[in-house]
Amino acid sequence: METRELEEDRVLLRLNLGPQHPSTHGVFRAIVTLEGETIVDLEPVVGYLHRNHEKIYEHLQYPMIVPFTDRLDYLSAINNELGYVLAVEGALGIEVPERARVLRVLFSEFQRILYYQLFFGTLAMDLGATTPFLLAFRDRERGYDLMERVTGARLLYNYLRIGGLRNDVPDGWLRDLEAYLDYFEREAWPQYMDLLLRNEIFLLRTKEVGVLPSDLALAYGASGPVLRGSGIPRDLRKDDPYSGYENFQFEIPVGERGDSYDRCVVRLYEMLESIRIIRQALSRLPDGPVMGQLPRGLLKLPPGEYYQRVEAPSGELAYYLVSDGGPAPYRAKIRSPSFVHLQLMPHLCRGHKLADVIVILSSIFPVFGEVDR
Amino acid sequence: MVRVPRVDSRSGLRGAWRAVKSILVGHGITFREFLKEPITIRYPEEPVPYPPGVRGIPSLKVNMETGELNCTACGLCARSCPVGIITVEPMVGPDGKRMQYPAVYRLEFHRCLVCNLCVEACPFDSLEMADMVELSQYHPEALVFERDQLAEIWKRSRAVRIAGGQKI
Amino acid sequence: MQAALPPWLWNLIVAVVKPTLILAFIGLNALLLIWGERKVAARIQRRRGPEVVGGPWGVLQGIADGVKLFAKEDVMPARADRWVWSLAPSVVFVPAAMVFLVLPFGALGPSGPVLVMRDLENAVLYLMAVASFTALGIWMAGWGSNSKYSLLGAMRAISMLISYEVPLVLAVLGVVLAAGSLSVVDIVRAQESRWFIIPQFLGFLVFYAATLAELNRTPFDLVLGESEIVVGYATEYSGIRWSMFFFAEYGALVASSLVAANLFLGGWHGPFYPGVHWVLIKTYALVFLAIWIRWTLPRFRIDQVMDFGWKVLLPLSLLNLTATGAWMAVKA
Repeated sequence: METRELEEDRVLLRLNLGPQHPSTHGVFRAIVTLEGETIVDLEPVVGYLHRNHEKIYEHLQYPMIVPFTDRLDYLSAINNELGYVLAVEGALGIEVPERARVLRVLFSEFQRILYYQLFFGTLAMDLGATTPFLLAFRDRERGYDLMERVTGARLLYNYLRIGGLRNDVPDGWLRDLEAYLDYFEREAWPQYMDLLLRNEIFLLRTKEVGVLPSDLALAYGASGPVLRGSGIPRDLRKDDPYSGYENFQFEIPVGERGDSYDRCVVRLYEMLESIRIIRQALSRLPDGPVMGQLPRGLLKLPPGEYYQRVEAPSGELAYYLVSDGGPAPYRAKIRSPSFVHLQLMPHLCRGHKLADVIVILSSIFPVFGEVDR
Repeated sequence: MVRVPRVDSRSGLRGAWRAVKSILVGHGITFREFLKEPITIRYPEEPVPYPPGVRGIPSLKVNMETGELNCTACGLCARSCPVGIITVEPMVGPDGKRMQYPAVYRLEFHRCLVCNLCVEACPFDSLEMADMVELSQYHPEALVFERDQLAEIWKRSRAVRIAGGQKI
Repeated sequence: MQAALPPWLWNLIVAVVKPTLILAFIGLNALLLIWGERKVAARIQRRRGPEVVGGPWGVLQGIADGVKLFAKEDVMPARADRWVWSLAPSVVFVPAAMVFLVLPFGALGPSGPVLVMRDLENAVLYLMAVASFTALGIWMAGWGSNSKYSLLGAMRAISMLISYEVPLVLAVLGVVLAAGSLSVVDIVRAQESRWFIIPQFLGFLVFYAATLAELNRTPFDLVLGESEIVVGYATEYSGIRWSMFFFAEYGALVASSLVAANLFLGGWHGPFYPGVHWVLIKTYALVFLAIWIRWTLPRFRIDQVMDFGWKVLLPLSLLNLTATGAWMAVKA
C-alpha cells in the first residue's frame, strides 16, 4: 500500500479576508492559510482604524480628553469615559457625590445592555439570519432615545465629567427607563433566546467551535465574556470594584466549555444581571448634586503614574496615565481588551473551517475603535 | 458566580424533537413580528421627534430685546474646544481698545465633535446647542459657520422649540 | 380554430405561444416576488420595505431593479472560458422554465379539461430530470469564471445540489406510489378526497427541505452567503446575466411551489369550488413559507448541510417510501 508524504503534497491556499467585508465587524483583515477547507494559520492585520488617540491625549487638557475616550469602544461609550474619569479622580483625590456614583453605575450597566444587544444582532447576521439584527436595533433605538433625553446625543455622549456627571437625569426619565427594562426583560430577551440561542442551527454552528481552554485564556490575558466563557469567574466589578459596585448584588455568568456558544450565551445572561443592577440603582438612588468639588484652576495631575481599570462590556479596559505635572498627560496608554483578544484568533481558528472564522470572530466581538485606537 | 445553562443537543428522538421545536418557536416569533406595526419613520416626509436638549450645532445666543449677542469674545470656548475649531476675534473700538463683542466668530463645523464643552465653558451663557441636526452640505467649506450664521441658527432653533411647546 | 388551420401552422403557433406564456409567467412572478420578498422580509423586521416605485406600496420595485440591472455594463472576466461562462446563466434559467410545461394550473370543472401545457404520462420523471440541469449551469458559471472564489462556491453548490436530489426524488416517489401514476394530472386527480400531505406528511417535509436546498435558499444558502467573500459562483456576473440568475431563482421557487401544490396539496381541489384559484393560493402560500423560513433561520455550514442531507433527509425519505409501499401492499 502506498502512503503519501503529507508534507510534500500539501496544497496551501492563502486567502485574504479583506478589511472590507460584511462580516468582519469593522475593519479587520485576516490572512488565512487554507488547506482545502481547513484553516492552517490565520494572521490578523489590524490598524485600519488607527486614529492616534494616545498621541492626541498628550496635547489635550484632562477635561478635554473625555469626548475622545467615547470613541474607543464606541458601542458602549460611557464605560470608556468611566475608566478615564476614575483614573483622573483617583489621581486628584476628588470626591464624587453619591448620586453621581450610583448614576454612573446605572449608565454603565445600561450601556452594557445596549452593547450586548448589538452583539446579538451582529452575531445573528454573521450566521445568515438578518432578522435578529433588526430586532436588536428595534430595542437599541429605544435605548438611544433614552440616552438622547439625558445627554443630548445618541451614541457618543461626553456625559461623565471629572468629578461627576454633566447633568442630572430629566424628570420622568427614571420611570421610562424602568418601563424599558420591564419590556426588555419580559418580551425582547426571551425573543433573543428563542429566535437564535436555542435554535438548532445556531447550536450546530457555535458549539465546539473555537474552544478556548481556560489556561490559554489566562495566558493571553483574556478578560470579560471571553474569559468567563471559558469557565473563569473573573469580573472586575467583583474583584476590584469601582464607583460603588461593591454595594450591588449580582451574579457572574460563567461558561463551561469555552466554545463560541458559551461566549455568546454568557453575554446574553449578563444582560439580565445588568438589569438587576440597574433596578437596584433605581431603588437606592439618593438625592443630591451630581458634580463634586474640583480643584480651582487648570487641572494638573501630580507627577506620577496612574492606572485605572474597569469592566467594559468587551473586557478589562484600563487607562494608564503618566503625568509630569502639566495640564495634559505626558503619556496616556489605553489597555484595550479587544486588541488582546485578537491575539487569540490564530489559536482558536486553527483546525476549523473557513465559515467558522466568522463565528469565532463574532463570539470574541472585537470593537475596532478599541483595537486600533 | 452562576453557570449558564447550556442547551443540551441530545441525540436521538428527544434531541430531534428539541431541534424541531426550536425551529418552530423561532418561526412563531418572526410571524408575530410580521403582524406588528413597523417602527420605522418615513423620513424625510415624517419628522423625527428630537427630544429637548438634543445636541446639534453650537449656536450664539441673541438677546431678544436688544438684538445683540451675549458673547463677549472672551475666547474660553475656543480654548476649551478639544479639536480647536473655534476662532474668536474681538472687535476693536475706534480708540483702538478691545471691545467685549466678537468681530469674528468662526466655527468649523465639519470637524466638530458636538461634545458640548464650548457651551459649558462659556461664562456668559452665550452658546447653546441648537436643535438642528440636519446640516448636511455638499462641500466642507459650506460647513464653516460665521458669527451671524450661528446667531440665525440659534433664532431658528428657538422658534422651533417654542413651536414645539418647549419652555424657553 | 384548430380545425381551420393547416396542422403545421397550428403547431407553429402553439410552439411560439406556449413558451411565451411560460416566460411571461416567470417574468411576472419574478417582478412580483422581488417586491413581495422584500415586503415580507421588511414586515418581519418591523420595517416597511419598498415604498417609492409604483405608488405607496412600491409594487413596481421589480421593474426598477430590472431596469437598473439591464443598464449595467456586461463585464466578462478576461481569462474566463468564454462560451462556458456566457451560456451558464441560460443553462440555469432554462430548466426552471421547462418545468412549467407539465404543471397543471387547474381544471375547468370537476372532470373538465385541465389547464396544463402538456399532460405527459411520465411528467414526474421529466420534472426530476430537468431539475438536475441547474446544477450543471452552476458548475459552468463557477468554472467559466476562472476565479478561485467562484470555483470554490460552485463546487460546494454542486455537492449540495447533487446530494439533495436523492431525498427529493424519493419523497416524490412516495406520492407516485400513492397515486399510482407518474402523471401530475393523475396525481392531482387522486387527491380528490384527501390531499397527499396527510398520508405523506413525512414525504412533504423531506420534499420541502430538499427543495429549499435545491433553490439555494436559507438555511441552505451558504453558496451565496457569507462564504468566502462575495457571491460564490455568480461573482463575475453583472447586469443582464446576473438578472438571469435571479429570474432563475424566483422562477424555480414558483415552479417548486407549484409542484408541491400539485403533488402534496391537492392541486386545484378545494372547498366550495375547485379551480385555478386554489392552485394559485396554495402555490403562493408555499412561496410565502419559503420567504418566512429564509428570514428566520441562520444558515448551515457546508459539512452540516451534507450531514443533514445524507443522514437525516435520506433515511426519512426511505422510511416514507417503505411505509408507503408496505401500506399499498397491505391494501392490495
